[in-house]
Amino acid sequence: MNMPFFKYGMFGDEVSLIVAFVIGIGFGFILERAGFGSGKKLAAQFYFTDMTVLKVMFTAILTSMLGVYYLSVIGWMDLSMVYLTPTNIMPQIVGGLLLGFGFVIGGYCPGTSCVSASTGRIDGMVYLLGVVFGIFGFGEIFPMVSGFYNSTFMGQVTLPQFFNLPYGVVVFLVVLMAVGAFVAAEWGEKNMAKKAGAKK
Amino acid sequence: MKNLTLNKKLAFIAIALGFIGLFLGNPYKGNLLSMNTKELSMIVETKVDHVTVQDLADWIIQSKMDFKLIDIRTEQEYNEYHIPNSENITMTSLEKADIPKSEKIVIYSEGGIHSAQAWMLLKAKGYKGVYILFGGLEDWKDQILFPKLPEGFTPEQVAKFEKTKEISKFFGGTPSVGGSADVKSETPKMEMPKLDNQSGNKTPDGAPKKKKEGC
Repeated sequence: MNMPFFKYGMFGDEVSLIVAFVIGIGFGFILERAGFGSGKKLAAQFYFTDMTVLKVMFTAILTSMLGVYYLSVIGWMDLSMVYLTPTNIMPQIVGGLLLGFGFVIGGYCPGTSCVSASTGRIDGMVYLLGVVFGIFGFGEIFPMVSGFYNSTFMGQVTLPQFFNLPYGVVVFLVVLMAVGAFVAAEWGEKNMAKKAGAKK
Repeated sequence: MKNLTLNKKLAFIAIALGFIGLFLGNPYKGNLLSMNTKELSMIVETKVDHVTVQDLADWIIQSKMDFKLIDIRTEQEYNEYHIPNSENITMTSLEKADIPKSEKIVIYSEGGIHSAQAWMLLKAKGYKGVYILFGGLEDWKDQILFPKLPEGFTPEQVAKFEKTKEISKFFGGTPSVGGSADVKSETPKMEMPKLDNQSGNKTPDGAPKKKKEGC
């Protein structure tokens, strides 16, 4: 099998839009079903009372990592054709913090704000409007921040390259980390719920 | 296993898959190629990777066997005509072809673009001695199979053409003299030489060429 399908020309640009649409609908549907259409549930992650976000994210990371790794190992997929976003470490840390603040304050990240808006929540729609204005504003001031935006460039770096570890070891470590996070999240939820209950 | 929740079962599957992954190694499988771009640009600039059709014709006539001549066109095109002693390896099979890295390789295609792309591919895969037939089959046809003595020729050109004529005949081609009176009656045949009676596959006296073995 030749994966990634698009890069191998199994379908063209037009069909890729249809594929993206179908996958996007599926993604949005799953996010909504996981409860990610509610800003309260999402923001609860940052107070450690509801760890759903962490669990869903780590489940997604594990599933896709194991899937991609095994498909490549058995030769169904050419991993070298998968695009890696280049790392600019400082701007990405600042950008991550900015997104985190927005997440806690507004209760959504960009993807979940779309989900929320489409279910008719007004806060989601306002958030989405903010996202659009933010993109516009960033575009306007981009010449002023482009120096910082392109600074500390590290290229397309992966964890195995960065830590100089074999791929299999990194895969195993990420699995351990994720499962550890699940266990800690379950434990934390129980304790935080008790505390929250005691307060009431 | 029955008293485990679904979450716990999934977690165990993930741990098991991760653990097996420890022993499976690199998922990139050698598809990632690296190139010495400085070396490549030097080669391209100095054109040392070029082989002219005259050189190639001389090598074939002299039965030089120290190189591998690869035709990267399609099988059908190869069957219609190919340069004697060439081997048909298409672009996609070239990627997987099992050619020793030390081998001297001459690539040709119809023009020059495909062979240049194949050259890049082989270079990236670590082949050292890769050469391109400059001008490809088009130059081979123009200068070897159907050479033309230009109109208003000088004595030097005639002397040169005598040699070209011999080479052309060796490969079953049809040399012609452009605009000269004595060959006017005979229009130059631009038919490609048939593969079975291509003289390049034989020694000049007609006996089938014996492949040299060893060094």
